[in-house]
Amino acid sequence: MTASILDGIVLGFQFGLLGAGLTLVYGMGGVLNLAHGQMGVIAAITTSLAMDAGASVLPAVGLGLLAGGLLGLLLDRTILRPVYRLRDEARVLLSLLLTLGVAFIIDGFLNWRYPLMALNLFISGGTVEILGVPMRRGSLLASAITLIIMAALFVFFRYTIQGQAVRSVIEDEEGARLVGIDPNRMMRLVLVLSGVLAALVAITRSMVIPVDVQAGFPITVFALIVAVVGGLGSVPGALLAGIILGIVNSIAASYIGTFMSLVILLAAAAVTILIRPSGLLGVPE
Amino acid sequence: MLEVRDFSAGYQSNDVIHDIRFHVEPGEAVMIIGSNGAGKTTLFRSLCGLLPHSSGRVNFDGVDITGRPAETIARLGLRFVAAERHLFPRMTVKENLSLGAYPHRPDPDTLSTVLELFPRLAERQRQRAGTMSGGEQQMLAVGRALMSNPRLLVLDEPSTGLAPLLAQAAYQALHVMRARGLTVLVAEQQVPLAMAFSDRGYVLENGFVRLEGTTKELAANPRVRSAYLGVV
Repeated sequence: MTASILDGIVLGFQFGLLGAGLTLVYGMGGVLNLAHGQMGVIAAITTSLAMDAGASVLPAVGLGLLAGGLLGLLLDRTILRPVYRLRDEARVLLSLLLTLGVAFIIDGFLNWRYPLMALNLFISGGTVEILGVPMRRGSLLASAITLIIMAALFVFFRYTIQGQAVRSVIEDEEGARLVGIDPNRMMRLVLVLSGVLAALVAITRSMVIPVDVQAGFPITVFALIVAVVGGLGSVPGALLAGIILGIVNSIAASYIGTFMSLVILLAAAAVTILIRPSGLLGVPE
Repeated sequence: MLEVRDFSAGYQSNDVIHDIRFHVEPGEAVMIIGSNGAGKTTLFRSLCGLLPHSSGRVNFDGVDITGRPAETIARLGLRFVAAERHLFPRMTVKENLSLGAYPHRPDPDTLSTVLELFPRLAERQRQRAGTMSGGEQQMLAVGRALMSNPRLLVLDEPSTGLAPLLAQAAYQALHVMRARGLTVLVAEQQVPLAMAFSDRGYVLENGFVRLEGTTKELAANPRVRSAYLGVV
């Protein structure tokens, strides 16, 4: 049981970061980005290509993160342009359709050019015992990196003027404009950030299991579930939901079976929404 | 400081305000009075870049700001306090005030001036804006605008939703800021409040400027007296 919970927490940190990126983009701009997972996969494949070309790990990872962020920027500058002209439901729907198209294009391209490629950053050195449970070094390093990123996100949103500006647009877009904040610029910033976060998750994930070119949609689905359960638009909600769902997923996987864990995850999400329609930390309408 | 010429604006193709002309000079307090639905809010929202206009020009301190986006106009030093206040409800009082200085870090001197002006805000810096009373929220909205050391403060109905004593307190704070040289443009339907505060004014009716003059002239005008001051 302890082992499952620890595994779940490790997974949950990554779920949390995934959800945070997706939920930020939605909360700020009403854009549901179904190519979220593909931003991570592009980063993983870029890292892998760089390493094949002879780069060492850190510069390759740097290139991967850059690729994730650039894809976010590219989405903002191209495909989302018409989306920004719409409001409310129409905006959500168009963003959903267009980013789904982008996801298919990226998946198609990767399957065609690099069908067998996967990023694999296994850390050697066996296991370390925590609370009597042997944990792989890779998991621990991935968790440590994820935790540092979460702390950095917290500091950014709480204490920096740009982070506060991002929150203010989510709180009241008109109010933000009246103090001189350009919501479009903040949206661009958030899309780049969500690309980098998706990249970080894919790269840290590859320290535990290989991340292949098919990983995009599953990552998006996890991000979506976490964001919905946490409350769309709430970053603390996404982090909390990520950890809870990570534990649920891991317990379900070890006691019932991996084949059922996604079903149980979805059921947990559905129950949360039935009890609290706005999510764990979302604001009721 | 602010010069508005032949300005028309509204929703879709229906203009709500027509050929508005008025001006505000540095150091002045100018009021736009009119009943509910006269077009005061439409006028202010389109001046400040929140609504499109259909014709006319707005010049602010020598810069043509016609049709510029709200965030650009705010950064030029024209700060608008909307009747709905548009605070950031889940952020603290302190964060709301800090964001008033965006993109700069809040200036400590300005912050202490604002907190001195509104001691209630000083006591509640860690409280979330959305949990405060209407009067406190109004103070915070004005305080947030003042954090940028604006050249012109534009207020839409600062007395909205406030009990008479609080409405008076809101105007008292504006008096203090005026004495320090702030230029203020205010729209108000509680005309006596605005009259006690302003140097000059314009009367807006059905989207047209019907009358203009010094506060004294307007207060003596029989039409203003019967329509807005309740004097028969």
